[in-house]
Amino acid sequence: MPHAQRLAGAGLLLVILVAWQLAALRGLPSYLLGPLEIARHFAAALGSQELYEHAVASLLRALPGFALGTLLGITLGLAAGIARSFDELLSPLVFLTYPVPKIVMLPVFMLWFGIGDLSKILIIALACFYPTFINAYYGARATPRILVWSARNMGAGEALIFRRVVLPAALPLIFAGLRVSLALSFIVMFATEMINARSGLGHLIREAENGLRFDLMYVSLVSIAILGYAGDRLLRFSRRYFLPWEESHA
Amino acid sequence: MKSLRTFIPIIILLVAWEAAARSGLWSRIVFPSLVNIGREFFLFIVQADAWEQIWTSLYRAFGGFALAAVVGVLLGMLMGRSQLVAGLFDPLFSGTYAVPKLALFPIFIFVFGIGSLSKVALIFLECLYPMVIMTYHGARSVNRVLVWSAENMGATRGEILRRVVIPATTPYIFAAFRVAVPVAMIVVVITEMISSADGLGYLVIYSLSSLRTDRMLAMVVVIALIGYALDKLVVLARDRLIYWEKLDTYYV
Repeated sequence: MPHAQRLAGAGLLLVILVAWQLAALRGLPSYLLGPLEIARHFAAALGSQELYEHAVASLLRALPGFALGTLLGITLGLAAGIARSFDELLSPLVFLTYPVPKIVMLPVFMLWFGIGDLSKILIIALACFYPTFINAYYGARATPRILVWSARNMGAGEALIFRRVVLPAALPLIFAGLRVSLALSFIVMFATEMINARSGLGHLIREAENGLRFDLMYVSLVSIAILGYAGDRLLRFSRRYFLPWEESHA
Repeated sequence: MKSLRTFIPIIILLVAWEAAARSGLWSRIVFPSLVNIGREFFLFIVQADAWEQIWTSLYRAFGGFALAAVVGVLLGMLMGRSQLVAGLFDPLFSGTYAVPKLALFPIFIFVFGIGSLSKVALIFLECLYPMVIMTYHGARSVNRVLVWSAENMGATRGEILRRVVIPATTPYIFAAFRVAVPVAMIVVVITEMISSADGLGYLVIYSLSSLRTDRMLAMVVVIALIGYALDKLVVLARDRLIYWEKLDTYYV
């Protein structure tokens, strides 16, 4: 993106922040804090132990769920993409249940796996499974046939073709799926914690809401925003590492 | 024959469920039998109140979705056709893309009240991202040669927009609809589970609290069917409206 455009984007952000701060100075309702006030509360919270405990509790739910769901999704998606028997077994089930909001299974999972962390991790895994499965599936199926044929002509075995042709062809879509899954894992984590939890950032924001501690509400909000943003950056960074031949947009 | 085989995994799953329910290993509360779930389902949908609850959830989801569709398509189009607008908004959207907007819900409750408005606002915000990002992507990738030839043949800016840019972007807009509709359903259910006194998400939590798990699972079936039907509706509309291009994406 050209320099002038970046400047325009930063300018808009600055204008919004300044307008917000000015509005806060003129007096907003008590539940709307100004940016400077939020920054002050957040800095204060960074010095206390409590915030880290909640953030760690949240991450310990989101990340295992994300890892489990995406690993299963990628593996089964690739398998369904290259093997017809897997395709016929899995695809109807996945595509049929894809538009169903997976969060409705949370109460069912709470019933089966208890109200502790396990049900939360599993529901996050379930939500993360779909985007990666579908993208890995389409990615593997969209492998150019010519490449597979020429690899075969040059004497490559099935395993080698998978590793050197199918996997690289599917990777861009897999990364797109991972990005959606990561965002989903944070949403579902937050939702499960708001519905039922004793720790975590979602729990913190609920507790703050009930106690009318608006400062804590914003602290929790800023923390989750930072975590979400950092996770996305990390994923984009690793994408550049794994996919050096792809342009790094989207 | 093929259509029959696609149902085999589903049938196996249902049979396994019923077997688990009847085995007596688990309590009826943990694994209600399919018969009970089915009975609760029919008891639910014959009530007049049921349709009111469904309508409550649907109009929240649709309100947020429709607002996001209008704003998102307009903004995405502008971003795709103007470098300046893209420069203004692209950092904003790509920077906050991965931030769970759901975290704003408690604040929305204070700003918009605990009624429908805070839910609609959150659905709008969550649906806006896929709409803007995919429309922008589509409007940006319009084939330049087509625009040039239209210009050469003397088309005005308005004509180019109507005859070239919009037809080329529509497949992307429908791809965005297909992402945004499930998002709207997810958010409406979540927000109703968190804080509400009506709607389907509330009924799920309410049934669970009263340990009527058969009723709860019947609610889950209702929500699942609605989600499935809405997706089919979008696909149907897409296939009827866009005959010139097939873009079968789920995510971009």
